[in-house]
Amino acid sequence: MSYAHSRFTLLKAARLIDTAREVVQEQAAILLEGDTVRQIGTAETVHAPEGAPVQEIDYGDATILPGLVDSHVHLNGIGDGRAGDELATLPDEVLTVQAAENARRHLYSGVTTLRDCGAKNRTTFLLREAVEIGIVPAPRLILAGRPVAIIGGHLSYFGTTATGTDECRAAVRQLIKEGADFIKITATGGSTRTSHPLRPSFDVGELSAICEEAHRFGKHAAAHCASSQGMVNSLDAGIDTIIHGVHKDPDGADTYRPDISDRIAEQGVFVNPTLGQGVARIRMLEDMDSLTPAQQAELDTFRQNSDARMDHFARMRDAGVIMAAGSDSAWSYYPMGDYQTDIEAHAMAGMSNMEAIVSATRDAARSCCIDSQVGTLEPGKQADVLVVNGNPLANLPDLRQIADIFLAGNRLDRQALI
Amino acid sequence: MPTTPTYTILTADRLIDARGGAPIDNGAVLLDGSTIAAVGPAADIRAPEGAPAQTTHYAGCTIMPGMVDCHTHHNGFGDGRLGDDLSLLPDEILTVRSARNARASLFSGVTTIRENGPKNVTMFRLRDAINEGLAIGPRMVLCGRPVAIIGGHMGYFGGEVTGANDARALTRQLIKEGADYIKIVATGGTTRTSFPTLPSFNLDELRAVNDEARKFGKLTATHSSNSAGIANSLDAGVDMIIHCYHLDADGTVNFREDIAERIERQGAFVNPTLQVSRATAWDLTHKRDEQGLTAPEQAEFETARANLDVRLDHTRRMIDMGVKVITGSDSSWSSYQLGNTVYETELLVHAGYTPMQGVLSVTSWAADALGVSDTVGTLEPGKAADILVVQGNPAADINALWNVEDVFLAGNKIERGSDDSIAAVRQPPAPI
Repeated sequence: MSYAHSRFTLLKAARLIDTAREVVQEQAAILLEGDTVRQIGTAETVHAPEGAPVQEIDYGDATILPGLVDSHVHLNGIGDGRAGDELATLPDEVLTVQAAENARRHLYSGVTTLRDCGAKNRTTFLLREAVEIGIVPAPRLILAGRPVAIIGGHLSYFGTTATGTDECRAAVRQLIKEGADFIKITATGGSTRTSHPLRPSFDVGELSAICEEAHRFGKHAAAHCASSQGMVNSLDAGIDTIIHGVHKDPDGADTYRPDISDRIAEQGVFVNPTLGQGVARIRMLEDMDSLTPAQQAELDTFRQNSDARMDHFARMRDAGVIMAAGSDSAWSYYPMGDYQTDIEAHAMAGMSNMEAIVSATRDAARSCCIDSQVGTLEPGKQADVLVVNGNPLANLPDLRQIADIFLAGNRLDRQALI
Repeated sequence: MPTTPTYTILTADRLIDARGGAPIDNGAVLLDGSTIAAVGPAADIRAPEGAPAQTTHYAGCTIMPGMVDCHTHHNGFGDGRLGDDLSLLPDEILTVRSARNARASLFSGVTTIRENGPKNVTMFRLRDAINEGLAIGPRMVLCGRPVAIIGGHMGYFGGEVTGANDARALTRQLIKEGADYIKIVATGGTTRTSFPTLPSFNLDELRAVNDEARKFGKLTATHSSNSAGIANSLDAGVDMIIHCYHLDADGTVNFREDIAERIERQGAFVNPTLQVSRATAWDLTHKRDEQGLTAPEQAEFETARANLDVRLDHTRRMIDMGVKVITGSDSSWSSYQLGNTVYETELLVHAGYTPMQGVLSVTSWAADALGVSDTVGTLEPGKAADILVVQGNPAADINALWNVEDVFLAGNKIERGSDDSIAAVRQPPAPI
C-alpha cells in the first residue's frame, strides 16, 4: 500500500481527554490521517504506518481534547449589550460581516463546531456560502437561519413569524429549503420588547406542527423557554432541546418544577442552560471600578437569577437531565470567542471539570445531532482537535491556554487576520 | 478634568513627507492621537513640555504617508473571473469579501482607497460596518455603483441609465446613498455585452453626470478604454481618465498625441492600470508551467503581454508630456489581488518615474487626484496620522514599499496578524 497521498499527523501530549468514556489517557498520542482521527493511545502504541510521511508534534505538558462544540451562538450578535431589537435594524450585509468576524473569533478560541440559534434573514446561510467559497474561516456551522416566532414574539424581528399550524409547517419547509440544519423555536417570550418572557408563545398544536415537520426531514428542533409553561408545551410537542430551561411561574416566581425535570429526563431531551450568559455579565460588572446605582441593581438581579439557575441546574442534573453547554454569545453582553466562561459556569454549578468539558464536547455534539462526526476523539471521527497548555481537568481556565487547533485535520494559523 | 493627550514619536533613518522634497535623514513624526502634530529631523521633534510621549525608533527604515490607492474593486477575487460572474454572488457575500480585501489592503500599507465598482450598496455597507467598529479597513472614497449604459461595462453592478435625465437622477441617488465621487463607464470593457473599443454614453449623458456631480462638489472619473471615450470624457470635463487606452474604434493601437495634450491641458489625472495586464500574464505563466495552456489561454497571454508593452510605452509618453499619472491598482479585478498595490507603482517607475515620483504617485499625488489631500497623502502637521513604516528606502528602490514594518491608521497601529498570512497575500511574479 502506498501512502504517497496520505497526510499523517501525530500529536503527543502529557494527556488526552477521552470525552467518549470520560477518562484521561496519560502520555497520550493521537494519529490523524487527513481530516480523520485514525488512532488514539500512548506514545508507545500510536505510530503512523511504516514508511508513511508524518508530521509529528510533541506538546509536552499539555492536554489534547476534542475541539469545543458550542451548541448555542448568535453569529449576528455584537456582545456590547445592545438589544436584539436594535441589532435587527442593522442591514443584512453588515450582520453578515459581523457573523464572519464572530465565526473567526470563535474558531480561534477553540470552538470547532457551533450551532447558530437565530439570525436575521439569510445572513448565516450566506456566511456558510462565503466559507465554502473560501473567503473566511469558520467552525463547522449548524444553522437554524431564522427562528420561528409568533407575531411580536421573541426574535420575530429576524424575519420569520407564523400563526397556526399551516403557517408553522410552511415556515419549517421554507427554512429547510434555504439550508436550515435544525429548527429554532421561541416557545416563550424573551428580551424582545414586544414579547412576554413569562408566557408561552405558540400553543401546543403549533409547536407540534413545527416539531413534526422538522422531524419528517430528519432535522431536530430546539425551543427557547424562559418560563415553565413553555417547557411543558415544548415537551408536549416532542421537542429535542430545551434552551435556557428556566423554571419560572407566570408571576415571575423561581419555582423549581420537579415534574418538568422528570419529563425532560424521561423524554431524553437535552437542556442548554446558558449559564455563561449571566456569569459573563456578572464578571464584567464585578470588574468595573465603580458601578452606577442602575448597574448595582443589575448586578444584584443577575446574581439572584444566577443563583436560582445554578440551583435548578443541580436539581435537573440530579433528576437525570443531560446538560449541553452552549454560550448564547454574542447575545447581550457576552461577546464570541469566550465559550470558556459558559463551561466554567457549568463547573461553578456543580459539575466536575471532566463533566463540564464533556458537556461542551460530547454532549453538546449529541444535542446538535453531530456526534457521529465530532465531540469525541475516536477512530473514524473528524480530526477536530484542541490542544491546550496545562491541564484543564485540574484547572478549568487552562482551556483558555490554547496551543493549537486542528479543524478537519488542518492546523490553524490563529494569528491570521486576513 | 483635562484629558492627557497621547503623544507618540516615531523615528527612523529617513522620513519622506511626500511634499516633493528630498527625504529627511534621521526623521521623526510626532502624533497627537489621530493627528500629526510635527514632522522633521528627530533632533527637533519632541512632545510638548511635560507631556508623556511614547517613542519608537525604526532602525534601517523609512517613515512615509500611508499609501493611497486610486482604483480598487473590493468585491473582487482577483482569480481571473469576469465581473459578469462576480456580480452573480449575493450582496452579503460580496460585502464579506470586501471586508477581507479591505484588511489585506490595509495590512499592506494602503490607508486610503478609492473604490471603482462594487455591486449595489455593498461598499456603503462595509463602511457602515467599519463605522460600527465591526470591521477594519482603509479610509474609503466610494462611488456606490458605477454609472453605466444598458449592457455597458459593469452594468451588472446595478447602475444602468439612459438619457441625461436618468443620468442626473442616478447621480443624485448615489450621492444620497453616500457616494464621495462618481464613477462613469464611458466605454465598454470586459463585460460580455459591452464594446470595449466604442464609447458608451453620449456626450450629453456624460455631461449630465459630470455637471451634477460637480454641483455637489464631487469629483468624477471615467473608465475609458479607447480614444473616443477619452475624448468624450474630456469634452464632459471629468477629473480622471481611467485606463486611458489609446485605441481606435477598429482596435488599432494609435497613440493620440492630441488627446494626451488635452489631458495635460485640462489637468485631468490619468490612472493607466498597467499591472492588471501583467497579473494576467503572470497567472497564465504559472499555469503554463504547471499544466500547460489551452489555445485561447495562450492567446490571452499574448494579448496581456502585448498590452503591457503598449501601455507602458503610452504611459511613458504621457508622463513625458506632463500628464499627471497616479497609482490606481485596479485590484481585485481580473487576476490582480488587493494587497499588491506596489506592483502598479513599480510599473509606473518602469514607465519613467523616479522611485521618489513613484512614492508621490501613491501618496500625495494620489490624494490630490481623489480630492482628499486636506487630510491625507503627506506627512504634515494637522493631517491624519496615516503612516507607513518600511524597511529600506523606497526613494532609492520602489520595491522597499513591500517591506512593511508598521501601519498606522488615524494614529492607531494596526495589528496585522501573522507574517505567514501577510506573506500569502503577495502575488508571485513570473518571468514574462
